[in-house]
Amino acid sequence: MDFTLPESALAVQRGVTDVCARYDLGYWQRCESEKRWPQEVWDDLARGGWLGLAVPEEYGGGGQGLLELAVATEALSASGAAGGSAFTYVLTPGFGALTLARHGSPRQREELLPKLATGEVETCFALTEPDAGSDSLGISTFARRDGDEFVVNGRKVWITGVQRATWMLLVTRTVPAAEAKPRSHGLTILLVNVPEAVAAGSLSYRPIPKMGANTTPSNTVFVDGLRVPAANVVGEVDQGSRVLWDILNPERILLAAGGLGAAEVALSVAVRYAGEREVFGRPIGANQAVAFPLAEVKAKIELARLMVHKAAWLFDAGLPCGTEAGIAKLAASQAAWESADRAFQTLGGMAYSLEYPVARLLADARIGKVAPVTEELLLNHLATRVLGLPRSF
Amino acid sequence: MNIVVCVKQVPDTATERKLRSDDKTLDRDAADGVINELCEYAVEEALRLKEAHGGEVTVLTMGPGKATDTIRKALAMGADKAVHLVDDALHGSDALGTSYALAQTLKKIGFDLVVLGSESTDARTGVLAAMLAERLGVPQLTFSNKVEVNGETITAQRVTDYGYDRVEASLPAVVSVVEKINEPRYPSFKGIMAAKKKPVTTLGIADAEIDASQVGLANSWSEVVDFAAAPPRAAGTIVKDEGDGGVKTADFLASKKFV
Ligand SMILES: Cc1cc2nc3c(=O)[nH]c(=O)nc-3n(C[C@H](O)[C@H](O)[C@H](O)COP(=O)(O)OP(=O)(O)OC[C@H]3O[C@@H](n4cnc5c(N)ncnc54)[C@H](O)[C@@H]3O)c2cc1C
Repeated sequence: MDFTLPESALAVQRGVTDVCARYDLGYWQRCESEKRWPQEVWDDLARGGWLGLAVPEEYGGGGQGLLELAVATEALSASGAAGGSAFTYVLTPGFGALTLARHGSPRQREELLPKLATGEVETCFALTEPDAGSDSLGISTFARRDGDEFVVNGRKVWITGVQRATWMLLVTRTVPAAEAKPRSHGLTILLVNVPEAVAAGSLSYRPIPKMGANTTPSNTVFVDGLRVPAANVVGEVDQGSRVLWDILNPERILLAAGGLGAAEVALSVAVRYAGEREVFGRPIGANQAVAFPLAEVKAKIELARLMVHKAAWLFDAGLPCGTEAGIAKLAASQAAWESADRAFQTLGGMAYSLEYPVARLLADARIGKVAPVTEELLLNHLATRVLGLPRSF
Repeated sequence: MNIVVCVKQVPDTATERKLRSDDKTLDRDAADGVINELCEYAVEEALRLKEAHGGEVTVLTMGPGKATDTIRKALAMGADKAVHLVDDALHGSDALGTSYALAQTLKKIGFDLVVLGSESTDARTGVLAAMLAERLGVPQLTFSNKVEVNGETITAQRVTDYGYDRVEASLPAVVSVVEKINEPRYPSFKGIMAAKKKPVTTLGIADAEIDASQVGLANSWSEVVDFAAAPPRAAGTIVKDEGDGGVKTADFLASKKFV
């Protein structure tokens, strides 16, 4: 067994860290408070080929896999972006490029991958609905076949990055959930050209005011008589669940990697403060009550990272990775939350000041315990699928 | 055009930098080694000249074994190959010794143009380019914020206290650059991967025909006699404006010979 990362992943670690070193916590804080897309970082990442890491070389990409994307996401997050802004990286290199590299039709690959590799074209992913979040198979957005087209109606919620996306991976039902046997049958994933659909009046969206992760807006999306050519189906009609899991597992792994970076950056803020701040004539970090929780966070980050890398490696090898992706996500989001929470405690009252980065890191880390999948759902999976306990739902 | 960029590894300015207590030289193991910032600008300028005029960019680094990281970084930016001058005998060389060693190596490997950063963040002597030009017997265009090559002629804007001088010389020549000259590129993913396969030639002092009696700590013309930590900054002077704040400020600046 060999735990060293492959040279490609080490190159990513070094390269992305290098690019992001020019943008500090202050930069990300400003983007967050101005609710602004980190355009400068995006352009730098695009120039270095870091957005197209998972695009095959024949389409102008780096020809790498999920492991390299995960390492890149962690580096971006650890530079100060934290988990919420690392989401900016998941939208196109993850949802778009990785999915189409594996499941796109030859035409979809040819048309989209070269532009996804350069970041010229961006993507978003629409699964969640007002009445179907954790129960994602229970979605009701319906795509009715009409000759060479599908006509889609429904409503999505929390869809992140619609504003910048040229293409949306829209998850629809072509068999209603109540009639589907098994329930995972009858899903169809469509590539929707967002600007065209908006111009045609069949798609609109409204941003949701949110607590953090404001570098990319999340939206309620209204789909009304949207016409999509059948050639835009990703994978096969009714068989969308196969593609779906190859979107959801990488999403979990990438956001777990984002959690690792978020945990690292909060920890480094805490450690610096604990070494410098003197109370009762000694640095607060000399108190084990302050130091031990930080040491524990470090241990949890290291453990979670092993699982993130393992899950990514399984995915790249084409092996089942659902359980590992879930454990990675669970462990990393808990590490991120604990790290931000302990950083908060370490900074005392100053943590509450918006002049320090901790408040943003805390709001940011909180969301990892809920999105893209809640901790309870991950534990449900472990309890029922791995431990064989009776299903609760 | 055969361009050689001299690239130095220096201790990371973000970490604590130390001198060794035994021989009073820089403790290169105490801090992470990084590429000297101005050397990145030098590499960038060399790459731009190559992109405009064709040719090849060679990185030349004198430094310990661990300087290979820095060499790889320059190669990842796009340089074609590298020469690493590494020898225990070179340890502790001052600017005179370093310029001699680099000049010997440059004579050996050949060049049309040598590009350097105008100083390094560790020693900050800022004299290497001039010494190198003298030893090589070629013109020097130092502290440049703009460089153009036209056939056999090189033109540069040399930054001065009052603006800049336009200087012109024939090739071969030595150029040193300041940070205003360009914006160095980041190594790209493909650049980093390709850098692993680019040739790095390692030379010792014998290979470069360097006379051991002219390099190293024992043969340095300058000597570090003693060193001490910088004293903590003293409290500043606060000028209270009671109608004469301007005069007091001017007097203070005059007393420090700023005006
Ligand atoms: C910032 C942000 C960005 C997002 N971006 C996207 C996006 O781009 N695209 C997209 O499709 N979606 C996106 N989402 C949606 C996200 O995936 C969902 O919010 C998430 O899956 C949870 O669904 P829900 O909010 O409907 O919660 P619900 O499913 O309503 O769950 C509410 C609570 O009940 C618990 N619960 C439910 N069932 C059980 C059970 N059986 N056992 C135990 N507990 C249970 C849950 O764990 C949770 O605590 C985003 C969400 C956020 C907050």
